[in-house]
Amino acid sequence: MFTFLLKALWRKLWTLFFVSIVSFAVIHLAPGSPSQIDPMNPRFTKEQLERYRAAFDLDKPLYIQYTLFYQRLFTGQLRSFKDNQPVLGKILERAWNSLPLFLVETILIWCYAFPLGIAAAIKRNSLFDKVTTVLVFALISIPGFYLAYLGIIFVVENFHVDVIGLRTFGREGVGGFYQLMDRTWHLVLLSVLGATAGIAVLSRYVRSQMLEVIGSDYVRTARSKGVAEDAVLYHHALRNGLLPFVTMLGLLIPGLIGGAVILETIFAWPGIGRLGYEAILSRDYPVVIALNFIAAVLTLIGTLVSDLLYMLVDPRIRL
Amino acid sequence: MTTNTQALSPSRLAWQSFLKNRTAVVGMAAVMGFFAVALTGLLLTKGEHPILNPREVRLPDKLKPPISTPNREAVPAASLPRLGVYVLGTDELGRDVFARMLEGGFVSLSVGFVAVGIAVAIGLLLGGIAGYYGRSRVGVWRLRLLTVDTVITGLIDVMLSFPSFFLILTVVAVLKPSIWNIMIVIGLTSWEGTARFVRAEILSLREQEFIQAAQAVGVPGYRVILRHLIPNSIAPVLVSATLGIAGAILTESSLSFLGFGVPPPDATWGNILSDGKRYIFDAPWLTLIPGTAVLIVVLAFNLFGEGLREAFNPKLRQG
Repeated sequence: MFTFLLKALWRKLWTLFFVSIVSFAVIHLAPGSPSQIDPMNPRFTKEQLERYRAAFDLDKPLYIQYTLFYQRLFTGQLRSFKDNQPVLGKILERAWNSLPLFLVETILIWCYAFPLGIAAAIKRNSLFDKVTTVLVFALISIPGFYLAYLGIIFVVENFHVDVIGLRTFGREGVGGFYQLMDRTWHLVLLSVLGATAGIAVLSRYVRSQMLEVIGSDYVRTARSKGVAEDAVLYHHALRNGLLPFVTMLGLLIPGLIGGAVILETIFAWPGIGRLGYEAILSRDYPVVIALNFIAAVLTLIGTLVSDLLYMLVDPRIRL
Repeated sequence: MTTNTQALSPSRLAWQSFLKNRTAVVGMAAVMGFFAVALTGLLLTKGEHPILNPREVRLPDKLKPPISTPNREAVPAASLPRLGVYVLGTDELGRDVFARMLEGGFVSLSVGFVAVGIAVAIGLLLGGIAGYYGRSRVGVWRLRLLTVDTVITGLIDVMLSFPSFFLILTVVAVLKPSIWNIMIVIGLTSWEGTARFVRAEILSLREQEFIQAAQAVGVPGYRVILRHLIPNSIAPVLVSATLGIAGAILTESSLSFLGFGVPPPDATWGNILSDGKRYIFDAPWLTLIPGTAVLIVVLAFNLFGEGLREAFNPKLRQG
């Protein structure tokens, strides 16, 4: 148990090291050195070049640039190009706004994906299975931004509420209850939209996993022994069918953050997705690198936790 | 009859099982229809004097709804649409949305295929090497600490921890916006699934007798991989490639939507929608037409791919 934990940690640390290199290298990947000013390129002004030099120490060798960059990031000295604020502080502030969103989305995904997938697998080829299959595929296939606009039109025209931003502008003075309702309305549409893709993908996985388990030998044995159908499904099949989903806990994180870039931009929600989009637009490289890095670290922590959970629930796994 | 079914090869069996799945067959038909539309679109909209010009600006006819007749007094005769009506309406510059959609169809098709082609090539290469040469050690000088397998699975772990959409957005923003860069970047960030499939498949295949026989008669390693292992593990790769095309089309349209896609004046479904969203209440067709087109095409690829997956996986095959 303890050696497994150490091994997993060791592996994650190595991954983390390479993640930090990739996040850093992505910006240096543009052809030519970033300090070469192309006179035709309006994106690089002289002033920007100076900032770039100061932030990345371009005159030093690459590995020193790399160490200095992460040293500054962790000691909080790294500053944004745009407003000269510390990068970590900016990200934390925005992450605080994204947190309720991610929590609600995760809860929605888990609450809907499992029942949908299990029901579709048990009633394979029924009308319910066919309808959910098509619906789920439609939700996987619909572009998130398109669904967002359809959602906005629907909610605005039917319920006459404002859904853009954190709260309705200029409604600060009203009572606590109205304020709460206002915040909830702003949160609901965005998190439902953010969760749809996750619900669709996860419920498909649950369905095919359940189908595989239901078709396996030990389920057939249980049935032929005369175990009641409900007991077979919920006691024998479900327990084993759900095992792999413990591992999907960590892999949900990149999807949520990636999806947040588009949705938070459309809804003007001041979270980390929108921060990332703004930073890319304004070429605020310290923020962009730090965001890529932090998102990857969060995913690594998530997968580490799910590895451990997997080991706890499945006695066969001793990696 | 029974002798006949026993003689069927696995791929024949899979194909028969696929044809029984009606939604998958509909998906395949829609994919073929999309091919036809995209290729005719290329023929009709390319060249000096295209039959349907997607770039013809007619300011008197701006924001006309679908199936409306042109204003014959204000628009010069040479600029009138060839079909006599604006089949899908016009945009804010009076450009024919039908011609623009046809042009964008080919962009989506080529982005999907080139990006997935790159991803599959990398996935096959790395997965094949990891599966076949996985146990040999690599390292610098005499320090041969790592196995090939550790290196490649480590690389997969690193790539999987990034939120891929945000990483793609970062790279595309650093590079010059062009359709080739988008294809390459999507390809370079979506090979992990293929590599994992191929590795797992080859790990189990390499222990089988026909591979041992090939090795015994002295077939070189690269030939064993290319001629014996990869052809036998291609089915799951094709499935994930079909689903990958759907994902790549979706990613391209999201990039175009955020303004990092194919630069104007080339039309793509993503940037038609992105330009049209400002007129969402006055000219909803500018949002609805491209959005629905992306939805249908991606849905078709997804249903087709899912049908293939079920047909090739004996555990999921319909009875």
